[in-house]
Amino acid sequence: MKNVDLLIIGGGSAGLAAAAAAYDEGIRDILIVERSDYLGGILHQCIHNGFGLHRYKEELTGPEYARRSIEEVEKKNIPCLLHAFAISASADRIVTVVSPETGLLRIQAKAIVLAMGCRERSRGALMIPGTRPAGVITAGAAQKYLNLQGYLPGKEAVILGSGDIGLIMARQLVLEGIKVKEVVELMPFSSGLTRNIVQCLNDYNIPLSLSSTVIEIKGRSRVTGVVVAKVDENRKPVPGTEREISCDTLMISAGLIPENELSRSAGIRMSRSTQGAVVDQNLQTSIDGVFACGNVLHVHDLVDYVSMEGEAAGRNAARYLKGAARQGGFDRCIEVKEGPGVGALVPQYVDLSAAEGKIEFRFRPRGRYTGSEAVLLSGDEKIAAKRELIFTPGEMCTMSVDAAKLKNAQALRVEIRPVGQGVQE
Amino acid sequence: MWDVLIIGSGVCGAATARALARYDLSIAVLEKGSDVCYGASRGNSAMVHGGYDPDPGTNKAIFNVLGNRMFDDLCAELKVPFERSGTMVIATNEEEMEEVRRLHECGLRNEVETLVLDRPALLERWPDMGKGVVGALFCPSGGMVCPYTLVIAMCENAARNGVEFFLNCEAEKVERVEDFWRVTAKDGKVFDTRVVVNCAGTCADVFNNQVSEDRFKIVPRFGSHLVMDREFIPWVDTTITQTPTKLASGGHTKGMGIMPSVDGTVILGTDAEDYTDPDDVATTRRSIDRIVDYFKTFWKHLPISAVYPEFPVSGVITAYGGLRPHPDRDDFIIGEAPDAANFFNAAGIESPGLTAGPAIGEHLGKLIAERLSAKKKADYKPGREVLPTFRTMTDEEKSRAIAKNSDYARIVCRCEQVTEAEIRDAIRRPVGARTVSAVKMRTRAGMGRCQGGFCQSRVVEILCEELGLTPLEVTQSGGESFILTGSCCEHSFPEADEEEKA
Repeated sequence: MKNVDLLIIGGGSAGLAAAAAAYDEGIRDILIVERSDYLGGILHQCIHNGFGLHRYKEELTGPEYARRSIEEVEKKNIPCLLHAFAISASADRIVTVVSPETGLLRIQAKAIVLAMGCRERSRGALMIPGTRPAGVITAGAAQKYLNLQGYLPGKEAVILGSGDIGLIMARQLVLEGIKVKEVVELMPFSSGLTRNIVQCLNDYNIPLSLSSTVIEIKGRSRVTGVVVAKVDENRKPVPGTEREISCDTLMISAGLIPENELSRSAGIRMSRSTQGAVVDQNLQTSIDGVFACGNVLHVHDLVDYVSMEGEAAGRNAARYLKGAARQGGFDRCIEVKEGPGVGALVPQYVDLSAAEGKIEFRFRPRGRYTGSEAVLLSGDEKIAAKRELIFTPGEMCTMSVDAAKLKNAQALRVEIRPVGQGVQE
Repeated sequence: MWDVLIIGSGVCGAATARALARYDLSIAVLEKGSDVCYGASRGNSAMVHGGYDPDPGTNKAIFNVLGNRMFDDLCAELKVPFERSGTMVIATNEEEMEEVRRLHECGLRNEVETLVLDRPALLERWPDMGKGVVGALFCPSGGMVCPYTLVIAMCENAARNGVEFFLNCEAEKVERVEDFWRVTAKDGKVFDTRVVVNCAGTCADVFNNQVSEDRFKIVPRFGSHLVMDREFIPWVDTTITQTPTKLASGGHTKGMGIMPSVDGTVILGTDAEDYTDPDDVATTRRSIDRIVDYFKTFWKHLPISAVYPEFPVSGVITAYGGLRPHPDRDDFIIGEAPDAANFFNAAGIESPGLTAGPAIGEHLGKLIAERLSAKKKADYKPGREVLPTFRTMTDEEKSRAIAKNSDYARIVCRCEQVTEAEIRDAIRRPVGARTVSAVKMRTRAGMGRCQGGFCQSRVVEILCEELGLTPLEVTQSGGESFILTGSCCEHSFPEADEEEKA
């Protein structure tokens, strides 16, 4: 058994930021466990730019952003175990890891930061009917083949999902010589940034079909086509609107899911809304001394926010190690509930005894709302509000609230509601 | 000249090959798929049926009961995961309870033990059983196996005893030539053989009707299954199905059920729909919706509803389709065709075919060995050599496995925790994996919640390393099913070329 003060599981953006922040708080006995043979996580295959605008005030590519995070950790000489896979964790913070270097290793940690990231929703999870040919691929897998291994996953593609990843991959496929026939989006709007719709689709004359979905995959060896249909307001295909598009590739970019199998093995309480751990404002889970951050906690839109959340988790873990953070689960916490229009809310609890400075509430709007505001309510009393020109599911919303304002709060709730004549679109 | 040629490497073909591999015979197995176990034996409910329900005296009843009794020894010998987790039929009203009692009576005649449980008795063991459940039939000898692991293991055992497998080899014609049979494959290959065993699943009628006047018809009967993530398995400890229903088109289905797979996922299914294409296993919206809609209602009866009150559709990780070969005679067709000497059928092997298959193989093996006056081999090797599964080892076993083979410390498939050691072993074993799908069938790499999103590229690399391929040659499942279509550096820029020329 190896002992360590702070164990960080995952060497991507969240884990690296957590390690660096904990170090800055004076913690020295840190170990990062990373399953790949390099640090930086998924960023290495995201060779497009647009990263770092918030954190570094400049526009970086994924690998450049990763390099900066890695250098922080290298400068501080924080130990990393690469090609190391955490196979299970227990409630008393013992994590079992396997790696070629160490064999099977049990690590007893005083504090843990969970930073395992997320996975992509697959064709299977979407239950798209049809045959099972080669050529059905998720955007991330396609990115890996293209950008890390140098292979083309197809010649003619239809893309399902118009979030930012789908849009950016549409452009990249074109640049690699792959014909993108169409991007298909289930919702009546794209959840991607407007600049991505312009720069990745419009500039390349790629059609975007809204309120549509792929209802069947065809082809027995390799994909030969997909059937696309319009959907009604309940997202059910409308009979009679089917059309077949011939292609050899269906690229799926239809959402990310936090990867919490390790958290579940430790018995950490999970949220059905975020599919991540339930946490308080210090990102501490139901198990004392175990913190979660980044895409394993809830799916973020920008890596900058992942890093910032990682830093917060690292700082809070350091405070815990110094005896200054919550002990005893959520017993003394008050719950924060999702009201109308609000999904994937973090944190789900506020520990009033440890509440100081600003508390950040992050969530995803459930639909598109204009003329609306997000409000934090204690009972019926409005504690804080935030207005946006538009709320949309593609963009994570952050509400920053003075902890002092929550002193006498009870039964907190976040909701999106109309301002004056504001109406839901 | 072959002694025995078996058409099809599903459960019956594999079991027959394995039974005959004990004898000094030359045996060939023809499989049209890119891997063994490519048809009905691959996409089914994975249930090992007790055998209480087939009509007494039928082949279905006889071979189901015999097959079920073989499973403990068979799976131990072949290192195949198998669990007698029991099967249960629940009743939600008195009419269904009547059917439960009828099934119990039927079980008595088939010599299969079942228990009729009223609600209090049911609650003793399953306290969370839904409020609407009035009683149930429980069959303790029922269980679950991984169907393709079983069939692949039987093939490996046969192969290590000299049986030759011809993959991507579709039999087309069987004809009598003098006193032997000539089987011609689609690609022109010719196999002369003393005995033919027709285990061709949904195509078995084609070959029988080529050689025999005792004609029959096989209807490909389609059904889908959904697979749910591991997180639900703690609340699914036995198979629970609705009371069976008769189908208007003949035969019956055991109806919809929820099954704890031996690999730790949960299987839901299945429906029944008659097709004409014997190879069309594509899932359909209609079929998936039928299962989803059914479970939205049925869910409340299940013990798991105490933890997940609604059917968690988002917990589904994939769907698969399969075809059962339904015979127009409504019973398994087993044995020598009456007017075609040395042509044996194992045809119409629909449910409970997976359970019956091993017994059918033994039965045919014995008949054929006698017919050919075959002698037992002195050097017959039972079992198979396979590296143990990392995921199911204890920590101590994992440590030891890594110490012996450091590839065990390299996890390739995160979701199913499959290591590089297991993947390389799957490629190196007899009838070894040659495709991404064949690796998946042997190791579960790519079968978990991410469905290969993370690990497929590494599996492609390992296949290349082991088989001396380039990534562009690797297929998902043989033929033209290439995973990749080119290299990034092989660009042609027509416009640039034009400019250069100008």
